[in-house]
Amino acid sequence: MNKILQIKDLRVSFDTYAGEVKAVRGISFDIHEGEVLAIVGESGCGKSVTAQTIMKLNPMPPARIAHGDILLGEHDIVRASEKEMMKIRGKEVSMIFQDPMTCLNPTMQVGKQLTEAIRHHQKLSKEEANKEAIRLLETVNIPNAKQRARQYPHEFSGGMRQRVMIAMALSSSPKLLIADEPTTALDVTIQAQIMDLLLEIKQKTNTAIILITHDLGVVASVADRVAVMYAGKIVETGTAKNIFYHPSHPYTRALLKSLPDTDMDRSIRLVSIPGTPPDLLNPPAGCGFASRCSNCMKICQTDLPPEFIIDGGHVAACWLHYENCPAELEGVKN
Amino acid sequence: MENKKLVVLDDISKYFKVSEGTLKAVEQVSLDIMKGETLGLVGESGCGKSTLGKVVMGIYQPTHGQLTYHGKESIHLNKKTLFSYSKMAQIIFQDPYSSLDPRMTVGSIIEEGMIIHKMYDKKRRQERVYELLELVGLNKEHANRFPHEFSGGQRQRIGIARALAIEPEFIVCDEPISALDVSIQSQIINLLHDLQKEFNLTYLFIAHDLNIVKYISDRIAVMYLGNIVELAASGELYANTLHPYSKALLSAVPVPDPDKEAKKVRQILSGDVPSPINIPKGCNFAGRCPQVCDICTKEKPFLREITTGHFVSCHMVK
Repeated sequence: MNKILQIKDLRVSFDTYAGEVKAVRGISFDIHEGEVLAIVGESGCGKSVTAQTIMKLNPMPPARIAHGDILLGEHDIVRASEKEMMKIRGKEVSMIFQDPMTCLNPTMQVGKQLTEAIRHHQKLSKEEANKEAIRLLETVNIPNAKQRARQYPHEFSGGMRQRVMIAMALSSSPKLLIADEPTTALDVTIQAQIMDLLLEIKQKTNTAIILITHDLGVVASVADRVAVMYAGKIVETGTAKNIFYHPSHPYTRALLKSLPDTDMDRSIRLVSIPGTPPDLLNPPAGCGFASRCSNCMKICQTDLPPEFIIDGGHVAACWLHYENCPAELEGVKN
Repeated sequence: MENKKLVVLDDISKYFKVSEGTLKAVEQVSLDIMKGETLGLVGESGCGKSTLGKVVMGIYQPTHGQLTYHGKESIHLNKKTLFSYSKMAQIIFQDPYSSLDPRMTVGSIIEEGMIIHKMYDKKRRQERVYELLELVGLNKEHANRFPHEFSGGQRQRIGIARALAIEPEFIVCDEPISALDVSIQSQIINLLHDLQKEFNLTYLFIAHDLNIVKYISDRIAVMYLGNIVELAASGELYANTLHPYSKALLSAVPVPDPDKEAKKVRQILSGDVPSPINIPKGCNFAGRCPQVCDICTKEKPFLREITTGHFVSCHMVK
């Protein structure tokens, strides 16, 4: 499988009046053709900033890529000019957003908005582009695509609008699709429809998908690989099975335990993680999770944990996996 | 859970007049809420669950039907009955950002209800504020701060303290956790659970996260387009789902377990929820139902008891 995207030690900061907010603090990952990588984490953990940085959509300033490389195929995103980015966005990588209500232009017919995207990247006549727009609407299962193309966004329901967004994102067959909380604003039955559609597209076109979400259920249903983010860092990566069945970072473990199991009784208390995530204006010197971690050791507060390989592609950044870690803590490792 | 009816909804409907016609947000809902239970109310957006919650709170006056508590007269009889009902029932809102007045200190937010209901003297009220803050896991010093100084989870705790201030018996929780992060959600759920045990509270828990609802509820009511389509004890509803809409809804919820997900046969509903304006006659779900028959488009089904305590409104369930 070809690597579509490589991110190496990416750091993104925001310069604010209060100081430098280190939103992403050195993350590395890559994604292969036809793969679904889920990035999970709580709000403010840097998952959306990462996604926006891949497309350079966050306004710079205040945002700033402080360090690192983003390689998308042969394109060097960090050093690309805005003009080059215009060619890359939509053609090589495209994005769908959380809120389908605000991402479409309310004063423009849906078909027109689609043809605009198509003609930006492909030399097609208006008529050909129009036909292409209708074909795209059909691929995302919009009934009566021909009539629908002449309607305005307010005439579409939330799920339909998200389908239009997906059609638009696919218009120039990108190699990578970034879906930033694509179903958070939708109901569960509509969420199931949209996730089904994304998987169908992945199978047909072999597009790689980065799925950003906080819903671990969605992750379990579609992701091949998972990266768990906390306080601007990836704390654990692995296949979906690694993460769900052998979580190796205390944060991942606590997160999974905080969800009620389907056949869980009310007499069993939910595990809750005490406290709140750290302020990224002054990130802690050691592990970001140390202050909330039940297995916190002295070293966790002073030194950033390196990445420890658990097995194969399963990596966790936690001192518990250090080879000299005391034996009595062995029990909490897995 | 005692076997005593606390709040009784009798044939409640709530319509709104809109320019295109009548929007039937809630239609002919009859429901008993038992003392000490948690009744979960689930459904998709626009199904009328929040409207029903507001009717139950006395915020909306129902178009038809009446709401009684403790076997007294209808709460909507006059201002006095409504006022005394508000001493008994309180609400926790979904959005902890917009449901707290940004210009009031946390202390005065919590105290306000007690002033309105003329409870205690000033000194005792102040003590109560401190007690309540500690009860919900905040501390005394927070009383003089303003809502913007708190995180989402903390604000939700303030909302809970406010609801508890006037010592209600019944609390409507209108999606109290959906605006919070996963790790914070379980903190709030545990808190609500502890408070229920301590004060013998009754909850109407409105939510769309079915995993959480199943965990917290004794009974669950499923709503679709203004109607309750199924009502059962929470274990029974999951083990023995009868209504086709409930089936689709439950199968659509992804569970955090890749193997279960891979094996699951998902029943995907086509289309969207139709508009609640000018609903066609017959069953509201007929347009999307995989088991639809002739009778469904002609006659409206009513909630029937199939097995003890398990109610379904569907022609196809025998």
